[in-house]
Amino acid sequence: MDNQPLTVIVEYPVLDEKARKVLQWVHQLDIQFVGKIDDKLLKIGLDEIYYFETVERKVFIYTKEEVFQLQGSITDVERMMMDSDLVRVSRTCIINTDHLQEIRQLKNSRLEATMDNNEKIIVSRKYLREIKNVFRRGTL
Amino acid sequence: MKKIIKDTLLLASLMILVVFGVSILWAGVTQEIALVCKLFGLAFIVVVANHGLDIIFLLPMRQSYILKYALVTCLVIAYGFVVGWFYPSNWWMAAIYTALVFIPAYFLDLVSVRRDVSYINRKIQERLGKLKHSETRGFYE
Repeated sequence: MDNQPLTVIVEYPVLDEKARKVLQWVHQLDIQFVGKIDDKLLKIGLDEIYYFETVERKVFIYTKEEVFQLQGSITDVERMMMDSDLVRVSRTCIINTDHLQEIRQLKNSRLEATMDNNEKIIVSRKYLREIKNVFRRGTL
Repeated sequence: MKKIIKDTLLLASLMILVVFGVSILWAGVTQEIALVCKLFGLAFIVVVANHGLDIIFLLPMRQSYILKYALVTCLVIAYGFVVGWFYPSNWWMAAIYTALVFIPAYFLDLVSVRRDVSYINRKIQERLGKLKHSETRGFYE
């Protein structure tokens, strides 16, 4: 049994909104990205990813303690945004809201997101509504 | 309530456009119709400039509003001169009109941002609470 892959069976009488959310959550467990670090390619599960950042046309994946270069484009990440808890918070940054701990309004009226590894990310006011929508649709 | 106000304003704009559109067919472009068309033209320019600034700059809210206020005032002055609203003696009226629109907009935006931030933080806390509850009940074992 040890070598068996994780299998989840979802049974539902009607494919309603609740069932859809459960399926989306299960599907999210399977999302992986390929990242490069020290010339090694590694598969990184979405649950490990804190955020994606675009720097000079390269996309970097930030996990709790490491940074990988995404083997793919930001379009691949954007494609996953509808089916996951990923959300754009600025022009260059997409965060995984599963690791979001708090959003604070700073004294200079900037918005700052704190991830659960205490990393701070600047949030653009323009994307606040989208972040709110992720939490709205994510409530089971 | 916000949606009702938004929908009311959109419907009012549509009604103005339809009523004045029909009036153009009957009475031609009267002074009132020309004024409404000019206001719609100015609104379009301001909205495009606003979007442009949002794309180009990532500024804190206050700085963003100050920059937008300066740009929109300049646009209103320029537009006002072109369409004949202002004379060299009263161009400063543009700054007052723009401020009358911007000050309530800034405070409404401020309230809306605070409300959105507190909603998100509340949801995060609820999620953390659920997670703790699940763990104590052994769902994650």
